[in-house]
Amino acid sequence: MNYPIVSLLALLLCLSGCAVTEKHSATQPAPAATSSAVGYDFANVPLQKENDPFQALNRTVFSFNDEVNTHALRPLAHGYTLVVPRPVRSGITNFFDNLQFPVRFVNSVLQGKLTRSAQETGKFVINSTAGIGGLIRVSDYVLSLANVPAEDFGLTLGVWGIPPGPYLVMPVLGPSDCRDLVGFAGDYVISPLNWHTLGFIHHAFISNAANLALSGVRYLNALPHSIEVYDQMKSGAVDPYIAVRNAYLSYRAAQLKK
Amino acid sequence: MHIDLFRCVPKSSLMLLILGAARLSGAASADDPAAMLRSSIDEALSVAYSGHGNQNLPARVRPLLDKTFAFDLVTRQAMGPGWRQFSAADQRRIIDLFSELMIRTYSSRVVGTQRPKITLGAPVELAPDRREIPTRVTTPSSNEPISVVYRLIKLSTGWRIYDVLIEGVSFVANYRAQFDEIIQKGGAPAVIRTLEAKLAATTDSHT
Repeated sequence: MNYPIVSLLALLLCLSGCAVTEKHSATQPAPAATSSAVGYDFANVPLQKENDPFQALNRTVFSFNDEVNTHALRPLAHGYTLVVPRPVRSGITNFFDNLQFPVRFVNSVLQGKLTRSAQETGKFVINSTAGIGGLIRVSDYVLSLANVPAEDFGLTLGVWGIPPGPYLVMPVLGPSDCRDLVGFAGDYVISPLNWHTLGFIHHAFISNAANLALSGVRYLNALPHSIEVYDQMKSGAVDPYIAVRNAYLSYRAAQLKK
Repeated sequence: MHIDLFRCVPKSSLMLLILGAARLSGAASADDPAAMLRSSIDEALSVAYSGHGNQNLPARVRPLLDKTFAFDLVTRQAMGPGWRQFSAADQRRIIDLFSELMIRTYSSRVVGTQRPKITLGAPVELAPDRREIPTRVTTPSSNEPISVVYRLIKLSTGWRIYDVLIEGVSFVANYRAQFDEIIQKGGAPAVIRTLEAKLAATTDSHT
């Protein structure tokens, strides 16, 4: 239902060369709010119609995920935070973020955002050297390298004019849509973490077990934060399924505009 | 006599000038949405991080949030066009329940003992009486700063917040989507039942 608007938006982004929306994108008012002048109608906020033909199945997977969160992931995340102190956790987050540099770089290039791809390269060089292999995000203290929006293949497809398609809830992984699912697969190939699994590189020191352990650490380390976000969203919601769906789709739409 | 009178005049006019200037600056800060937002945020943070933890926080922040948020406008927006069919009593009840839910949700976000750092961006004019102010929130628990955008409207009582967008997700639009089906199926009574059940559940989980 949102196809024409989203593809028009993506098309406009492409036509405008993509690189113009560099900074202060968050300060730009949403079109809906500006359309009415002084007499803004508070009783008639438009309802965002979401593309969700698989709602029945999605709701089932959503409650399954909720159970998995409650009985497995939340205790796991809690245990992890007890054992691993915060500075170490953020070091690990930074390390994996730095390793994902090719994903952000390639997607910035594919979207024609050359300034952004240069910023990503600068971040990677500084954080890998001064930041001791990416453990410390030194680039945050460099004004031109702080707050660079992260690009991914789902956003690249959006910039190319491909609509998000139906909303999907993936088992364990959570909310997505068709475009982001394809994007996920694309980024999987670009990420250096998977080059060994995919057979791109052969190295005597990297075994499949070591590679699997690395991915495990990455997932576990990201778990406390994602559980926290989920719990916060659920705590205020009167319909958690709709709350998460609206939040995910609005968040991705906002990222696409950056 | 003459001399005394002569001395008195400049003194009183000086007083008038000072009073006038004070009044002017007072008017300016009440008229400035960014200054209002800054002081409200600072005040909210000092209440939230006063060292009492989450105990009683909803009750403690309510007076402040009551004069910062246009709770009636937030509620109206979240309910959509169905609002017009609600009775005045139902509307009043829903505003009360929904604002209580908002305040409790806000309070539950206060975690840890370290105050988040909040920087304000330049206000954007949406309409002559409406502004959008972008902010960045840096908390110890998140690696990246979080984008929080406030939308304010000028009412007779001053500038009030009517929507908050966290990472591009509008608070109002999110609840509008959640309440749509509830209103279509059961109208105002269903909204009241849902909110009462939600508030009862959050009270249980807090104790």
